[in-house]
Amino acid sequence: MPETSLHGEELRIAVIDANPIRAAILEEGLRDAGYRHILRVEDTSGVLERIGALAPDVILIDLESPSRDVLEQMFEMSRVVARPVAMFVDRSDTAMINAAIDAGVSAYIVDGLKRERVKPILDMTIGRFNAFARLKEELQFAKSQLEDRKSIDRAKILVMKAKAIPEEQAYALMRKVAMNEGRKIADIARAIITAAELL
Amino acid sequence: MSRTLRVGYIPLIDAALLHVAKAKGFAEARHLDLDLVRETSWANIRDKLSVGIFDAAHMLAPAAIAATLGLGLGHLQVPLVAPVALGLDGNALTFSRPLYDAIVGRLDGAPLTPRATANALALIIAQRRAAAASTLTLAHVFPFSSHHYQLRLWLKAGGIDPDVDLRLVVVPPPFMVQALASGHVDGFCVGAPWNTIACDAEVGRILHHGSAIVRNCPEKILALRADFAEREAETVAGLAAAIQEASGWCAAQGNREELAAILTLAGSSPEDLPRISPALLGQLLDRPADGPSSPPALRLDPAATRLRPSQAEWLFRQMAAAHQLGASDELEARVRSVYRPDLGNDLGNDLANNEGNEPGSAFERDQIIEILSEKD
Repeated sequence: MPETSLHGEELRIAVIDANPIRAAILEEGLRDAGYRHILRVEDTSGVLERIGALAPDVILIDLESPSRDVLEQMFEMSRVVARPVAMFVDRSDTAMINAAIDAGVSAYIVDGLKRERVKPILDMTIGRFNAFARLKEELQFAKSQLEDRKSIDRAKILVMKAKAIPEEQAYALMRKVAMNEGRKIADIARAIITAAELL
Repeated sequence: MSRTLRVGYIPLIDAALLHVAKAKGFAEARHLDLDLVRETSWANIRDKLSVGIFDAAHMLAPAAIAATLGLGLGHLQVPLVAPVALGLDGNALTFSRPLYDAIVGRLDGAPLTPRATANALALIIAQRRAAAASTLTLAHVFPFSSHHYQLRLWLKAGGIDPDVDLRLVVVPPPFMVQALASGHVDGFCVGAPWNTIACDAEVGRILHHGSAIVRNCPEKILALRADFAEREAETVAGLAAAIQEASGWCAAQGNREELAAILTLAGSSPEDLPRISPALLGQLLDRPADGPSSPPALRLDPAATRLRPSQAEWLFRQMAAAHQLGASDELEARVRSVYRPDLGNDLGNDLANNEGNEPGSAFERDQIIEILSEKD
């Protein structure tokens, strides 16, 4: 029985994501778009029971979750979800599938749902996953920059003490070594710290 | 200039040949730089290989066939091919200690053969049904897996209908031991090292090695997209050769310690893959699994990397028996198309033949033998 009589906001959506922050970001987006029936499943045990209870139309699952294999078998057996389930909407939509997998998310959708009804959900999911990945990357970058600066400062003090030279000269020396060896100055700094710990 | 290949794998001991090909420089010698990417599910392996995020993958042989035919929930239907296998056998049937004891207790001292244990389980199921006890649950790792088919063959030998008499579920290998300990499942069929870990944790007991049910059972293959293999024939042949060289290295018992170190590094975090000891590898690779005349539990030797059409045909029959496809000649031809030993350089062939003294001996030794179809 096609589910075309349902209004968009009545679709039941399950979000399985081991990352609670990303799951919250996605849920927020879906709620803002008018979807009200959203179940977030964070744990890996008991996924089957919880999904069975919700009987979702759309299941969004992050690719880090080992529960994917559990779900695939479950859908094949069709014991928990009454209607047949497919990954994404139709297999010809390779651009959508590629974009989702690239973003790190997969979607299972019950049979009979129209493409137009599912597409906005998938678009939003892919968008939020990508935005989250970018955020994480930026955070990682900021963190490593901070660590680099700390290492350089520590190494600089070590060089100043060992050679009894002023700060600018110590920095210039480290930069020269880095350039000669074709390495980053932070790498040289870490090498100096390691050497100092050994000696 | 070396070519970088992204290769997906699941943390299991039978991903060893990929790790060895990289760590020992067998890939590098062929100008291949392997970027090995650990994955959490077979569904991810299938999808990332299908859409081109991976160039190659450690893949369940029947899962590659299913992807080629567009079976299951993948729905991408991308033809895959394999130039080499990554090993044979390696699975085992492990049960909770109470169920293991109940099965063995019903043998009345008869030899512990798969047929006898399956009959014993059938009696236990009947008894539980009469007592209105809960249905037993057994786990495997993926709908399209040898683990699933080995379980079904064993159950069938006892007249047990896996779709009616008990529940078959999928549990990811890293969660198997926990699922058994919590009583979520009563037994499972999984690859190494998870059976040994369940035994060491005193949670379960190995009832049978997979080779006691199906000897020389197809397991993981090196899977690639068919269009990629066609475009980059030289790369594929090089990768296959590196795998085969790695299998020669793995076959040498003197390399156990180094192999253990390579696999432990590859596992990287203990909750995913506990420390692999040389002793564990010796137990799996060097000692007969069930009695003096039997093969080891897991085979990574050069002959085990050779793909044979008979293996694809056997898998096709198992998939049909599990109601995953309807048998037809057209389908069978497409199943066979996944197995492409001609894409490798057949170094494994030479190594295999060098091991046996007469031609053909290696072939016989590596043929699939369904133990349960023989008379006990």
